[in-house]
Amino acid sequence: MIGLVDANNFYVSCERVFQPHLEGKAVGVMSNNDGCVIARSAEMKAMDIPMGTPAFKLEGLRQRGEIHLLSSNYELYGDMSARLAQLLRDACPDIAPYSIDEMFVYLEGMSEHQCQALGDRLRRDIQRCLGLPVCIGLAPTHTLAKLANHAAKKQPHYQGVCLLAGNDASTTALLKQTPVSEVWGVGRRLAERLAINGIHSALDLRECDKKQLRKRFSVVLARTALELRGTSCLTMNAVDQPRQRIMTSRSFGQPTGVKTQVHEALRRHAQRSATKLREQHSLARSVMLFLKTNRHRRDQPQYFPHTLVALPTPSDDTRVVLDAVRQGLEQIYRPGYRFMKAGVMLLDLVDAQQHQLSLLDAPARHHPRLMATVDAINQRMGQDTIRFGMTDDEAPWQLRCAHRSKRYTTRWDELLEVGTHPGAIADARARRQQSQP
Amino acid sequence: MTQPLSPITPAVPLTHQSLPFPPLHGRAGFSGFPSPAQDYEQRTLDLNVRLIKNPTHTFYLTATGDSMEGWGIFDRDLLVVDRSLSPRLGHILVAMFDDELLIKRYALYRGTPHLCSAHPHYPPLPLEDSDCQVWGVVRAVIHEYLR
Repeated sequence: MIGLVDANNFYVSCERVFQPHLEGKAVGVMSNNDGCVIARSAEMKAMDIPMGTPAFKLEGLRQRGEIHLLSSNYELYGDMSARLAQLLRDACPDIAPYSIDEMFVYLEGMSEHQCQALGDRLRRDIQRCLGLPVCIGLAPTHTLAKLANHAAKKQPHYQGVCLLAGNDASTTALLKQTPVSEVWGVGRRLAERLAINGIHSALDLRECDKKQLRKRFSVVLARTALELRGTSCLTMNAVDQPRQRIMTSRSFGQPTGVKTQVHEALRRHAQRSATKLREQHSLARSVMLFLKTNRHRRDQPQYFPHTLVALPTPSDDTRVVLDAVRQGLEQIYRPGYRFMKAGVMLLDLVDAQQHQLSLLDAPARHHPRLMATVDAINQRMGQDTIRFGMTDDEAPWQLRCAHRSKRYTTRWDELLEVGTHPGAIADARARRQQSQP
Repeated sequence: MTQPLSPITPAVPLTHQSLPFPPLHGRAGFSGFPSPAQDYEQRTLDLNVRLIKNPTHTFYLTATGDSMEGWGIFDRDLLVVDRSLSPRLGHILVAMFDDELLIKRYALYRGTPHLCSAHPHYPPLPLEDSDCQVWGVVRAVIHEYLR
């Protein structure tokens, strides 16, 4: 059996663990830069506030206290996600994280009864130990587990854990009431094409002839149909595979046209990209950088330059990447534009282990130990403990995150405060303000 | 643009190597007598092992206020909170009481379970008919004399 553990409204749930008073209230988490809503509590969904609503449209509701809007706190969500993965790893034979809030667990050799019992126990343990509400779908295949998870979430009588045996009447009944568009891997376009061919429900798709599907649609869809029948034919490996390109880009907190500030943002992204590169043990052959002005500001001059800088030899050295970024910026920077976004992409990646020095390669500055040491220190002491060149934390390109909660689990100076008696925290805060003239 | 692989093995391998970290073979000084302790297992004591049974469900919190001093929790102390434990009488708990997270001792008062503080100012809060929610059990308190 395969299980899919999916945290409900994950970002909001993470916030509520450390701010329990938000329980039962309408809470939304905003995108990087406080742009728009990217996660909503059930209460906020019930208010018909759609995903992606720009934050400024909700300002009134926020000021009246009807909703709570928070900046995204990825450090917190990442840590809670890692804890969730570890809890599952301790309890299950094998797991595969699929996204920050979804994890597959593999329960080979366990009976349906045992799987159901484990599912119930996991759900209780995750709620108690991490404070996160989750739903669990259990089934013989990934595609069915995804549907089972959906059912566990939407239909209260499952009590958060839904097991589909795959070939019994209840699975068939559920597939019958599931629109084909809700099947994993079937997008809206494909669903429309399927509808023309008389395939409306997940059950219709399951009953289709495999060869016909392959001929008229695709191999992938034929596999999906097989998966709905309970024959497992998808394997999870996409997450662990080394990426072919590594990109770091961000919108600026405020637009800026100052070259040193743009350079600083690019340097930051370059360092992050190089760290990711070393994590997957690759070397990059070239570095691409780009800048963007705000295309929605028609009144301002527009400029979207990008350039590719080839590295002399494949490298994972941050200093080499920074050097390339400096050269690239010289090429593309023009004064008089207000840039809104910058990014650094590393491409033409090769495996560091397999790469061999060719005779033609110029002697490179290889300092794997220096880089390994930098990475180790940053891992232990926190991102950006060692940086190449100083950056200004007040720079306009720094993210806007006016409503970010504390990073309760990753920063010593941002731990959750708990009072020894009612009002203790408010008292302490007042005292601190008094002592500061 | 793949480069042809060279058949020549590089003199300096490019693979990551772990940092050389010499084992602490203690030596009895300049003249070179081997330490009699060198055959004994080298261990270092790790506070994490002692204070944290499982990092997955352990959280650190900061205490604020003086009304738990009687049980050894002072203002700004570091609390090691384990969320996996079921609360038992005598445990120090972090619990949600009237929209506020508080540190209290879970104990009997006049025969019924209460959340108690160590200060006469704050009478025990009865747990019966309250919507108190336990957040975690305090496993250890770390009080730093020098910071």
